[in-house]
Amino acid sequence: MNRKRCHTFWLKSSMVCMAFVLFLTACAAEGQNQYPAAATTGPDQSGEGKSITIIHSLPVDTLDPHNGWISVRAGVAETLVRLDENMQVTPWLAATWEAKDPLTWVFTLRDNIRFQDGTKLDAAAAKASFERGIADSRPLAASLKIASIEANGQVLTFRTTEPHPAFPTELVHPTASVISIAAEEASGKEAFNKAPVGTGPFKVTGFIPGKEVTLIRHEHYWDELAKLEEVTIQFNADANVRTLAFQSKQADIVYHLAPESLDLIEKDQELDVESVTSLRTHYFTYNPASDHVADLRVRQALDKLIDRDAIVEEIMLGHAMPANGPFHALLPFGSKKAAQKLDPDGALKLLESAGYTKGPAGIWEKDGKPLKLKLIAFTGINPELPLIPLLVQSEAAKVGIAIEIVSVEYPEVYIKDNTDWDMSTASYLTSPRGDGGSFLNSAYTLGGSYNPAHIHLEELEAILRELNDTRDVPKRHELTRSALEIIHEEMPHSYIIHPNILVGIHQRVTNWKPGAEEFYIVTNKLDVQ
Amino acid sequence: MLTQLSGRFVQMVIVLFFLSVVTFVMMKLAPGDPILAILLASDGALSQAEQEAAREALGLNRPIYEQYGSWLLKVVQLDWGQSLTSNREVWDILMERLPATIYLTLGSVVVLMVIAFPLGILAAKYQNKAPDVSSRIIALLGASIPSFWLALLLIYVFAYQLNWLPTMGSGTLRHLVLPSLTLGFVMAPEYIRLLRAGLLDTLSRDYIKAARARGISEWRIMLRHAMRAALLPIVAVSGVSLGSLLTGSVVTESIFGWPGLGSLAIESIRLRDYPVVQGYVLFCGVCFLMANWLSDVGAAVLDPRIRMRGGRRP
Repeated sequence: MNRKRCHTFWLKSSMVCMAFVLFLTACAAEGQNQYPAAATTGPDQSGEGKSITIIHSLPVDTLDPHNGWISVRAGVAETLVRLDENMQVTPWLAATWEAKDPLTWVFTLRDNIRFQDGTKLDAAAAKASFERGIADSRPLAASLKIASIEANGQVLTFRTTEPHPAFPTELVHPTASVISIAAEEASGKEAFNKAPVGTGPFKVTGFIPGKEVTLIRHEHYWDELAKLEEVTIQFNADANVRTLAFQSKQADIVYHLAPESLDLIEKDQELDVESVTSLRTHYFTYNPASDHVADLRVRQALDKLIDRDAIVEEIMLGHAMPANGPFHALLPFGSKKAAQKLDPDGALKLLESAGYTKGPAGIWEKDGKPLKLKLIAFTGINPELPLIPLLVQSEAAKVGIAIEIVSVEYPEVYIKDNTDWDMSTASYLTSPRGDGGSFLNSAYTLGGSYNPAHIHLEELEAILRELNDTRDVPKRHELTRSALEIIHEEMPHSYIIHPNILVGIHQRVTNWKPGAEEFYIVTNKLDVQ
Repeated sequence: MLTQLSGRFVQMVIVLFFLSVVTFVMMKLAPGDPILAILLASDGALSQAEQEAAREALGLNRPIYEQYGSWLLKVVQLDWGQSLTSNREVWDILMERLPATIYLTLGSVVVLMVIAFPLGILAAKYQNKAPDVSSRIIALLGASIPSFWLALLLIYVFAYQLNWLPTMGSGTLRHLVLPSLTLGFVMAPEYIRLLRAGLLDTLSRDYIKAARARGISEWRIMLRHAMRAALLPIVAVSGVSLGSLLTGSVVTESIFGWPGLGSLAIESIRLRDYPVVQGYVLFCGVCFLMANWLSDVGAAVLDPRIRMRGGRRP
């Protein structure tokens, strides 16, 4: 009887398992041809039937061009000016521009451009778009500082509330996109923000918030027609899943791969990885009100205890550059000085010169106060950010400096509400628009958005005032480099690394390279073999 | 019946009120600032004075009771407010995400039933034999494996190694398979154990012995007579499970890029988008209470004693 029951059990179990496998197989059978690679090539090479799948890490809930980057990234909307591969501002929707006086900027729009709804791009249409952007986006309004806009034919005149020599660089930002307000009025704002109408080479055909955007080629694009017919951009915040999707060849371009998976990817002949220097910088801020780090020599000692090479090699697995300042050395206004190497002996000498002596417990102290520091660590979205303080803590402990690490989600909030800290981690895009002025003003003027510690350097302030009155680009670069000299001498921050962007690219993708700015992802030149 | 329903409604309103108060206070006391979160997410820059002006304009500088009061007043008028990040209506955002979550809930329930019912029944029928041991091992695995790890394992096997199924996304039956398997497998152990215990308890009852004595087949006794009583605790637990599935699985949805309520919640919390988080919590509360109410109705249908005692379980 038991044997019979057992046979029945195995028979039924096998049937259940078979049914389950059949279900999975049936699900898979339909899609088997879909997954050898996501890019497909149609009957000819003119773009018909060519499609591509891109995965990005940041899910979006709206395609509103004035409140996000995705419309420019997806090739739907465009800006008056753009950055080229050398991070120089170049014409895009605007053919030329000039400053009439410190408060007036005049842009002449190209005459051959129509929005995707067929309406012509003239100065009046662009004016309406900017008025909408300023009303809907506080950061855009704050960065442009517009007092009034005048439209006359193809000539668009901006008057700013204060001298704004970096005005054209601010127009590079995706939130300064030019969109068709006529299309928004026709469809309503809610529908428009799901399918915005711009001047780009691709039109939105579908949008599922948090999941994907589907695009089709705009057949009346003003410039060279796009090579691809369809593009799908998917979003997934999990680096492991994005990497597996790339390894499975279910996507052709995948942003922000997990660095630890690169060895496996490199073994696949069809897959490549581009490691692109980003415009982001990770750095430490020192508290000007701290008993210890208010002393320049202590800040300099701590700077010498940051093992930037180890951070690059061991934490970033080689996908970063040691930083010598807020801006990457390859930028025209970046400092060319070599980054500080790990130098414990130099750090100890500085501590001695600052009056510190070794205490009985092996901790340096001054006036009876041990050199115990509180470091506010940023948990952030970059996985390496919490690891950097740990490495610095370890190096400091070796020479007798105790660092207590406190992890928080937003250091700015902690700094705003507390004074009991000595160092804090920060990470910003320091030159997203091809100019250093915006970051320098944000980080080194009182009340600046990146200056919660209220850092104030008299000498630097004079240079920033001059920078804010200078339109000549080479002169701006020179002033920026002068500012970097002062920052290096006064060391209110220790700049640590510039992390790279890791982008997976299937070998069938052609005419495309990821840019450091991460603004222009879907372009008219992007193609597949 | 009417008294019972109105009583339930009053209970629901009280629970939702306390839920909203607790969530509102916790969100406000938690470190973080929506203006900074939004600026960091978009790499936007506003001076500290402009940030203060933005907080003022959004009413974030007002005392917490005032903020809660104005939010509650709007909710009573069926206005769930606007998202701080996208300026869209919270109700529209929730309704946009709900279908994907319902779709995933259905898929997970199917997987849960396919796994839990056969294993639970076989474990009870072949107590302490190979099928029972197998089902207990499977239940132990399901209970021990974290859902994020199982999700990555399934993606690795079925999407990467076999290339049968998509790694992420939604829209087709194929997209549904892996997230449903993840959720269903992780939830199944509780049901396997409950079903096994319920069936073993019922199978030892006198009326089952009487049925056996009448020569009714063992499978018929199991499925027709014992199952009905054994389902009672399962129906009770299913209210909680259904509620949690309908409010979205944060981990599973995030890993698979599933555009449901769970992934919306995690994004909104990250950006400190208070109106969306409040709307989500309120919506979850309603879902849980409705699911529990449904499980009570189910229990009353299964057990006449509950009906006879005016809706109270014996």
